[in-house]
Amino acid sequence: MFKAFAKGLSITFKHMLPGHSVTVQYPHVKLKPSDRFRGLHRLVPAHDREKCVACYLCPTVCPAKCITVESAENAKGEKYPRIYEIDMLRCIFCGYCVEACPVEALEMTGAYELANYRRSDFVFTKERLLK
Amino acid sequence: MVNLTIDGKQVTVSKAATIYEAALEAGIHIPVLCYAKKLLPYGACRVCLVEVEQMKGRLIPSCTTPVTQGMVVTTTSAEINKVRKTVLEFLLVNHVVECPVCDKGGECDLQDLTFEHEVYPNRFTGEKFALPTDEVNPLIERNMNRCVLCGKCARVCDEIVAFGSYSFINRGFESKIATAFDRGLNCEFCGQCVSMCPVGAILPRPFKFKARPWQLKEVDSVCGYCGNGCTVTLGVLKDKVETIRFNDKTGVNDGNLCIRGRFGYSYVNSEDRLTKPLVRKDGKLVQTDWKEALDTVVSGFAKARAEKGVGIVTGARLTNEELFLLKNLAKAMGTGNLDHSGGESYKGVTEGLFETLGVTASTATFPQVEECDTILSIRSDFYETHPVFGMVVNQAVKRHDAHLIVIADKRGKFGKLPHAETLLAKPGLEVNILNAMAQSLLADGLAITDGVEGVVELQAALADYTPELVAAQTGVPAAAIRAAAQQLAKAKKSAILLAYGLPYTAHSRELGIAAANLAILTGIPGREGSGLYLCGEKANSQGAIDLQIVPGKEALDSQSMFQAAAAGTLSALYIVGEDPLTSYPDRKKIETALDKVPFLVVQDIFLSPTAQQADVVLPAASFAEKDGTFTNAERRLQRVRQGIPLPGEAKTDYAIFELLAGRFGKQVSFTGPEAVFSQIAASTPGYGGIEYGAIGPQGVVWGGDLLAVKRRKVVAVAGGKPVETPYQLITGSSLYHNGTVSTRATGPLAVIPSPFVELGREDASTLQVKEGDLLTLRANGVEIKLAAKIDTRMPKGVLFAPYHFSSAGLNRIFTGQAAVPVEVSK
Repeated sequence: MFKAFAKGLSITFKHMLPGHSVTVQYPHVKLKPSDRFRGLHRLVPAHDREKCVACYLCPTVCPAKCITVESAENAKGEKYPRIYEIDMLRCIFCGYCVEACPVEALEMTGAYELANYRRSDFVFTKERLLK
Repeated sequence: MVNLTIDGKQVTVSKAATIYEAALEAGIHIPVLCYAKKLLPYGACRVCLVEVEQMKGRLIPSCTTPVTQGMVVTTTSAEINKVRKTVLEFLLVNHVVECPVCDKGGECDLQDLTFEHEVYPNRFTGEKFALPTDEVNPLIERNMNRCVLCGKCARVCDEIVAFGSYSFINRGFESKIATAFDRGLNCEFCGQCVSMCPVGAILPRPFKFKARPWQLKEVDSVCGYCGNGCTVTLGVLKDKVETIRFNDKTGVNDGNLCIRGRFGYSYVNSEDRLTKPLVRKDGKLVQTDWKEALDTVVSGFAKARAEKGVGIVTGARLTNEELFLLKNLAKAMGTGNLDHSGGESYKGVTEGLFETLGVTASTATFPQVEECDTILSIRSDFYETHPVFGMVVNQAVKRHDAHLIVIADKRGKFGKLPHAETLLAKPGLEVNILNAMAQSLLADGLAITDGVEGVVELQAALADYTPELVAAQTGVPAAAIRAAAQQLAKAKKSAILLAYGLPYTAHSRELGIAAANLAILTGIPGREGSGLYLCGEKANSQGAIDLQIVPGKEALDSQSMFQAAAAGTLSALYIVGEDPLTSYPDRKKIETALDKVPFLVVQDIFLSPTAQQADVVLPAASFAEKDGTFTNAERRLQRVRQGIPLPGEAKTDYAIFELLAGRFGKQVSFTGPEAVFSQIAASTPGYGGIEYGAIGPQGVVWGGDLLAVKRRKVVAVAGGKPVETPYQLITGSSLYHNGTVSTRATGPLAVIPSPFVELGREDASTLQVKEGDLLTLRANGVEIKLAAKIDTRMPKGVLFAPYHFSSAGLNRIFTGQAAVPVEVSK
């Protein structure tokens, strides 16, 4: 029993030694989130336009009602999102929109630094989401 | 009745029912793609397969199999589901799965079935369709890559619309729905195929990529155009009417619509709508607020009342409640000069029918016509003025083998139907032919004269109208007139149809009487399944008649009001929802009247040519912005519902009348249309006992399906005299337009964008004109120019021009005659 205690406490004490801290000196040091992290959305570009076809599934599935889509017809007769906006103040980062997308036009990136000074800056337009 | 068992449930249905219909009645859902309630059974999709105990060994299509006594039906089992799934898999082999960009997504039958049967993944693979899409026309878009070959579009176009745009071409895997020679769609653009398509193969182009079906707010209302009173479901997105949805489950007229109903809604959203009151200051109309506008109106009318009086002319697209308030307002203003729709256009009903039958409405309802044996349509224009009632006639002819007789001055769509016979007469002689038919019935002893007053007098008066004499006058063979009369007399169920409206003012009273005479002599009034239909041009024409929006005793009717105004003996005119300058006969007279009248108030939704002449313009509401009731041409009271808010500061006619009545010392305080309606019900003959809240999706027909007539009295009327000039111009309604407001809707304008004059090939070659050439028409010393449209519809010497367009100036030469003698040159 004593042996087991020693083994466990050795791990504890090892973490007390310098160089074993989990605290990161943010913002000087930044962690890379996991690939599955749900951060800021990104609209995936195709070669001359966005991949999104404005099917309205993401605003329909969105539980926070933070996505605004308005579809239109482009010069080629294709359906495209004339307006695509996500209000990050309302978004709950559930990822349902990504799951619902039938054409994999929307993904969630690792960007989590979304603080801003104006409310309007939290509304991400199509252009900002395409970056 | 037949008893059968479906999924262990005992069902009793009529023996004409199919298994599918029986299941529907029992509340059992059988999936289906090609079935539609209003179409004949077809059995194309094989999705509705069921198992029948008595027919073991194979699966039975439930939508085409009639029920039999003691049948035991199973609608779902592992085997049935497997077969259904396979059928869907086969369909999905070629069907291009582009649900994200297909506007049908969300209400697509194929999508729903695929989800329900979990058809994923597909066991089969194959080549996807890669057919070119038809996007030539601006109204209906066809993408045959999404077609499931259910044939609904081809069937509705043939069975109900009787146009026959589509059919299947090619065989096997190559089969597809195509138009003649596989060219772009060029038809009536009623959009019935759009409403039938279970997938996204046929879609409304004006709504393309606008929204998903689940985002739309649906508001059931009544079409604001003609007197058919079809149910339209407004598809509202963000306070705008974005599309018209169809309602074939509970809607009136089976959810059938014409181009006007389905594609003519866009004027509601127009940028040109009036949003603020206008008052004339220093000769110019300037925007103002309601207070100033109403002050001006009240002081103007008060002054006019003290001088030579006020006249009120209204249109027939106001709700019953609004018309009731207007009538009260007229009383408050102390004037009896109140009239609607040009005064002349409804005399066939109010005077003709009243004199002969003692009623002022059609005697039966539209659905009864489907079962008729003989149908007499007076003027081929009936299909143009009332297309959806026309579709009922099509069904009677196609499904019931009805014999259709058309008395017309030009050929029309009705004439192309099987068994249809057109008695092609010179213009303005319809009464003569009706008289001749009555004469031949009386002479041959075929007429029903029991309990009919005035037979002897009529017989004497009709001596000049033997079929032979009339044949010489009109050019219709005497034998044909006799045969038509006999057809009508021997029919067990028959219908006589006549439309009235602004372009049909000539002989309107006489035509009403002549039609009623014939109806009485063939026993139509009061007979089960038969009817005499006099159908108003506008959505609430019948309501205006029921509510007696007609001049009081010794008061002026609308024609006299304009005459008085022109002569300087009327001090003010109040024109509500009407554009007389464009649509009333004799523009010169109207122009002088509007010019001379000291005070003119126009209440409208657009700054129409008439409104431009006004001293005060009050912005009003369209049908999509108000609540109330309309009474359609078969006496059906229906609810109109508000779908969108009013534009800017516009007010409903209801609110404006209420405000004005208050200012004239007759404060009315109704809580809403419902309260007004209870007053209407209490004071209008026939409306008694009808409750606003009880008016359901099918409406309420006042007077019952068969209106009891008060008397049967035949009255002799004189026929018309033929116009003896080489060229005669007739006017009327074009199928794609109705009144003048449709000329502000993009849908109808996409098909008929500008005024035209139609003439036959023979005349065209004599005059050496080509399609689109400008023709000069000269009459009464006035000249107008119209683009020529050449086809085979017009007889020699007869030209037709629709009256909807203000720019055409047609009423400069049309002053109310049946046919205008014109000189034509290039």
